[in-house]
Amino acid sequence: MKKIYLIGNPNVGKSVVFSRLTGVQVISSNYPGTTVEIGRGELLLGQEKVEVVDLPGIYSLEASSQADEVALSLLNEHPKNEIAVINIVDSTNLERNLLLTLQLLEQGFPVVVCLNMCDDAVHRGVHLDTAKLEELLNVPVISTCAVTGTGIKLLIGRINQARPAVREKLDNQGRWALIGTIIEQVQKLEHRHHNLREVLEDASVRPVTGLVMAAGIIYSAFKFVRFIGESIITNITDPVFCNFYQPILEKMTGYWQEKGFWFHLLIGDLINGKIDFKQSLGVLTTAPYIEFGMVLPYVVAFYFILSLLEDIGYLPRLAILLDNILHRIGLHGYAIIPVLLGFGCNVPGILSTRVLESRRERFIASTLISIGVPCVPLQAMIFGLLGGFGGFYVAGVYGVLFSLTFILGLVLNRIMPGYSPEFLLEIPPYRFPSLEMLAQKLYFRVKGFLIEAVPVVLAGICAINILLYFKLFDALTAVFAPIINGVFGLPKEAVVALAIGFLRKDVAVGMLMPLGLSAKQLFISTTLLAIFFPCVATFIVLWKELGFKDLVRSTLLMIVISLLVGAVLNFMVLR
Amino acid sequence: MKKVSLVQLKENHKAEVVEILGGGNLQDKFMGMGLFKGKEVTKLSHIGLKGPVVIKVGRSILALGHSIALKVMVEVEE
Repeated sequence: MKKIYLIGNPNVGKSVVFSRLTGVQVISSNYPGTTVEIGRGELLLGQEKVEVVDLPGIYSLEASSQADEVALSLLNEHPKNEIAVINIVDSTNLERNLLLTLQLLEQGFPVVVCLNMCDDAVHRGVHLDTAKLEELLNVPVISTCAVTGTGIKLLIGRINQARPAVREKLDNQGRWALIGTIIEQVQKLEHRHHNLREVLEDASVRPVTGLVMAAGIIYSAFKFVRFIGESIITNITDPVFCNFYQPILEKMTGYWQEKGFWFHLLIGDLINGKIDFKQSLGVLTTAPYIEFGMVLPYVVAFYFILSLLEDIGYLPRLAILLDNILHRIGLHGYAIIPVLLGFGCNVPGILSTRVLESRRERFIASTLISIGVPCVPLQAMIFGLLGGFGGFYVAGVYGVLFSLTFILGLVLNRIMPGYSPEFLLEIPPYRFPSLEMLAQKLYFRVKGFLIEAVPVVLAGICAINILLYFKLFDALTAVFAPIINGVFGLPKEAVVALAIGFLRKDVAVGMLMPLGLSAKQLFISTTLLAIFFPCVATFIVLWKELGFKDLVRSTLLMIVISLLVGAVLNFMVLR
Repeated sequence: MKKVSLVQLKENHKAEVVEILGGGNLQDKFMGMGLFKGKEVTKLSHIGLKGPVVIKVGRSILALGHSIALKVMVEVEE
């Protein structure tokens, strides 16, 4: 056997089964379209290592979108007798899933059917006769609950029994009729009263109750992120930095006689003879404090809340409610998912714009995300710095970014040829999130953040200090100081910080900390950092997803807009 | 009996799909999701001002953008 393919309708838990089979951790959530990249891993089957491929969800083998075609061409890569197909099926909705199963069988794929989420089916009063289904389909049928791991061993044990089943070829009408008779024989529905979960499912898609719920959920999500972030900072990270790390560093500096290049690089400047984590700007002082003391707590808090909402299955319901507004800016409701992911980090946000159908939508969404959606590290720094002047200023930054995004969206929707397509979306049921899965996902995301951020931050602060020490920034400062000072009202030292924004936005705000800016100056500079040039990681992913021409277009927009917004804020709004 | 689109169908009402207008691509997509001529659907809600329509088909809940919902015709009593 050369390969094992996981195939199934969207949002049946393919990625969870994939993680269970291969041990490769991938992000899974309770909404269709989580998997935008093909997952690959290995499974030890007896003595043989076999590659397992996790395909994006499809409803039918008749390709109707670009993503479907990708999945299908992969599936037909190898001759059918050299592969096995695990058809993952949602037990709570067997009827809809069987169309794909019948198509797979008719085309002669060797199939094992995996009835996933069997525990949820029982909760919902759906009882399936696995043996009967196996008899009717004439291929192995195994019921599993991938989230807890139930049935996975059995599934692995029976992969070798995957076999083609000869079936007469039908058209889709015929298949649905056949599915009707299969369902009658294998599925028993228990009649029961609506429980709280179903009442909430229902309420969240109705206009009035839905909007009330959405407002409540978004507000409390925001409050919780702040609460968790602040709690980690005051109770864990700040005590560790001040009571534990600082004394060690100070002991070290005490032995340091000559305060030359290395001192400047590692410790930075002493403020009133002491190390100040926010102002010293050394590789061992400010760099770890920015990442671990200011940003990491918020990264943990944000991803905890986002993962929770994802796994419950709330996000597609938000998409329904926001469809209307998002249509005006050339998108449809489902674009809320890339936007929310973008609040964590713009990179996964832009990658997930692949759930949108047209190139036009992807351009609009990616551009709006890189301009108007500040990532968590940047937001954490804004809270940390601007929050000191009062919540009013922080709210102001969000207000400016939000209005800007909306206006820009309206304009782009007007001037770009084409129209915004409509969505056709399956809304998943609410699911009680598994704590184990939630913890795994949080760990995976936080680890990803640390691996990507920490080296860049350390290297960045290192490079900045070297450049500052040898006064190599002076040329850059001299060129841009007139604009920065004349147009934005910022001191010339801010040139360096804005330039560093290309590297990482949190470090850029960090560079502003020692400058002693006024509330107005801080407001303008952090807003500019959000709008202006994307950071290098976002830049690369924009290039990959949009192509060079659109990247240039998108970037030009950002530069023009940030000049405009900076000037307007400086001369007209804030005085 | 009268033919109306999903947009005009009243909330919480059941009806049978009698026709799906629009191209083959849309028909195929609906077919894959289990929505086709002869199927019974229940309308759950309609977010006003040209917002999407939410329906129940079998055990699935589908959200259809406004102009797509206009293409799904159902039969209701007058």
